[in-house]
Amino acid sequence: MVGESKTRPARRSPHPKKPMSEQTHFGFSRIDLKDKQARVDDVFHKVASRYDLMNDLMSAGLHRLWKDIFASKVRPSRGAPYRCLDVAGGTGDIAFRIAEAGTPATEIVVLDINADMLEVGRARAAKRRFEARLEFVQANAEDLPFEDNSFDAYTIAFGIRNVPRIERALSEARRVLKRGGRFLCLEFSHVDLPLFDRLYKAYSFAAIPRLGKLVTGDEESYRYLVESIERFPEAEAFRQMIARAGFDRADFTRLTGGAVAIHSGWKL
Amino acid sequence: MTDTPAKPAADAPRVDPRLLEILVCPRTKTTLEYDAENQELISRAAKLAYPIRDGIPIMLPEEARPLQD
Repeated sequence: MVGESKTRPARRSPHPKKPMSEQTHFGFSRIDLKDKQARVDDVFHKVASRYDLMNDLMSAGLHRLWKDIFASKVRPSRGAPYRCLDVAGGTGDIAFRIAEAGTPATEIVVLDINADMLEVGRARAAKRRFEARLEFVQANAEDLPFEDNSFDAYTIAFGIRNVPRIERALSEARRVLKRGGRFLCLEFSHVDLPLFDRLYKAYSFAAIPRLGKLVTGDEESYRYLVESIERFPEAEAFRQMIARAGFDRADFTRLTGGAVAIHSGWKL
Repeated sequence: MTDTPAKPAADAPRVDPRLLEILVCPRTKTTLEYDAENQELISRAAKLAYPIRDGIPIMLPEEARPLQD
């Protein structure tokens, strides 16, 4: 986290206007692409233990409903083995819902880049006796450690926003899906109702970082959260990214006035 | 990071064989060798050994042990 690269003057570069390295957004700040992952890891390391409580407080419990609706889109086949990859799913929120809807032949691989989040998920899996149907892997969504054509479904809930190179994650998603496999993504979006829009913005920028400070003692992480939501592409723009990654029938549904959206695509 | 001895693998949770079947090296996408004794997944192509901690494969090159020669 030491800003060593920033102290190095770029003046001597033969191309003074070109940045020395690829940059991306961290909330509203522009940072080096290679630094984003470390910053995001730090946010989730800090919030892992109180992740659920904060989600409940921030969304007034709505995140549970959103996740229910999202997970119900995954329809594990009743007769045959069904394998789902849940990316950025550390705490198991989505995986448990899919496991409940499935059969003993439904297998869910929970992937997260963050060891703390995975630890929370595995402890909860043991309590719920879902251990046999869930497997946990620590890996990067941009570099999936799976063979091509391995999964019937790929899910990512409130995760894609935090991936530094979203296009790369989408292309990896398509690679690991089987033909006929489905891509599903739940992510914050942009409220499209005039009055609600203003209220929502006021609430998120003023209240959420303060709430974060109260509950987790960490205001910065929640400021990042709000800014990263604001920065994430509009639903239609994101739909086009999914289509460009090669998915067929890319589509989305808005929930709660557009506060979140469920995106879907198929590998046909 | 420190030189604490490796935990005996006997009581540690095991990786599901069905998961091992589909795991590849995230960098080269090539097959891995499973070293059950040392709880590592070895990528000859990337010259990296990915650790398995408490039954969770850590498939991050930056966490992997570089292989000699």
